[in-house]
Amino acid sequence: MSMNLERGKAVLSGAQLTDTKKPNLSKILFGAAVITMLVSLYFIFIFAAEEKTMGAAQKIFYFHVSSAWLAFMAFFVTFVFSILFLIKRKRIFDTYAYVSAEIGVVFTIIVLTTGPIWAKSAWNTWWVWEPRLITTLILFFIYIAYIMIRQMDGVWDKKARLASVFGIIGFADVPIVFFAIRWWQTKFHPIVFGEGPSQKGGGIEDTMLVALLVTITAFTILYSYLLHKGVSFEKMKIMVERYKEKLREDLEN
Amino acid sequence: MGYEFMYGAYSVAWVVIFAYVLIIGKRHTKLKKEIEFLKQLEK
Amino acid sequence: MNLFRTALFLAKKDLYSELKTKQILTTQIIFAGLVIVVFSFAFDPANNTTKAVIPGVIWVIIVFAGILGLNRSFISEQRNDTMQGLLVAPMESASIYLGKFLANFTMMLIVELVSIPFLFLLFDFKFLGSLPYFILVVFLGSFGFIAIGTFLAALAANSKSSEMLLPLLLFPITTPILIGVVQATRIILTNMEKLASAIAWIQLVTAYDVIFFVVCFLLIDYVLEV
Repeated sequence: MSMNLERGKAVLSGAQLTDTKKPNLSKILFGAAVITMLVSLYFIFIFAAEEKTMGAAQKIFYFHVSSAWLAFMAFFVTFVFSILFLIKRKRIFDTYAYVSAEIGVVFTIIVLTTGPIWAKSAWNTWWVWEPRLITTLILFFIYIAYIMIRQMDGVWDKKARLASVFGIIGFADVPIVFFAIRWWQTKFHPIVFGEGPSQKGGGIEDTMLVALLVTITAFTILYSYLLHKGVSFEKMKIMVERYKEKLREDLEN
Repeated sequence: MGYEFMYGAYSVAWVVIFAYVLIIGKRHTKLKKEIEFLKQLEK
Repeated sequence: MNLFRTALFLAKKDLYSELKTKQILTTQIIFAGLVIVVFSFAFDPANNTTKAVIPGVIWVIIVFAGILGLNRSFISEQRNDTMQGLLVAPMESASIYLGKFLANFTMMLIVELVSIPFLFLLFDFKFLGSLPYFILVVFLGSFGFIAIGTFLAALAANSKSSEMLLPLLLFPITTPILIGVVQATRIILTNMEKLASAIAWIQLVTAYDVIFFVVCFLLIDYVLEV
């Protein structure tokens, strides 16, 4: 009994160790994310020139496009780690895939809320059935389903396997969805609004481009911070789970 | 022109980001409580 | 060829047991009839504009009736505790998938054979387009839908609430197919002059069918692991 407890203690101290060691990188990333976010806000609101026709509403563009970029990157990371998990079968890949999908869903929500607000100001309608918007919406639903697979009951490796399979299928579906919707729209409605919400409308001004790039960098750093934080949390959770399992065994013995 | 839309969009975006960070923080505190509890149990 | 023989064997087994109980087919057909009745409340059959929604209604029927059958195909194996038996049987998981797919597809075609003429009859729809093209579209659409549906049903069967999970997984993934077949059906049923674009849609759906059939074949090993 005492031996078992000692073994258990080792596991717990392991959990504590990650708790004290990790914040270094985590803090650096957090600081970098905060600073770059503030810098990007400066670039967006003060540095970048105001668009003539759309006015201040055009400034939504920076956050909208950066969130979309972050979400797509997050889903791509999920796709890559799903494949890696199916090949290597290491739990860490699965954790990365899950956390990345979750972050992707959060930023897809931002895309789907800022998009209509911009659409309202630019086209005077909340929602346009336009290829990019519908694709984003369907992407959102696919990854909600992905997270629901993760919430299933059962052992982790079964859930991880099924979720990875769905992550691969879901990501493979996205280009086809986009293509199908674009085709549907062009065949039956003339495209009135040019290229859609992220249209650059005859060349983008230099200051705007700089602001956009800065914002995208800031979002990428924010993503890596969130990913790191989420993964270390999941690791800790797994450790606690293992420790509990051990305790339960001890109690039974 | 269009300021209300800009403020609306940015506040929504920030609310979502902060809500997510808050949720992460909540999960952390929950887990930490659990670790504390387990430590107590060990004693 | 062993793959196909075992698959056929499995499909035969499923169809025989279905022939004996007639549980799923009856439910599917009655359900299709009920959907038609509900649509007759929603869209007045006497109204001329109703013709515009008929292509959509056909696919709504196929999708909802199909989901009923797909839910059953793997759950019934689990209820009878035969899933493990299938998994340890001397055959590849790809042939389990293929067999289940064939059984589901056959049942789906039977449901369509009954419900689509019934729909045309009740809505007094005069068939003007070309019948071979219409059959081709229905065939290709159901093929893709059932192919990906069988795969996701195998995936969802691991969950306790798989009946609820399956539609959530299936609908977003099948959007390209649904868009494609609804557009193609609309053109074929109402506006035959635009046949060229209908054929373009058929090509898109065929490409989707091929891609996802292959992907499902490759990935089913990971889903049906012991």
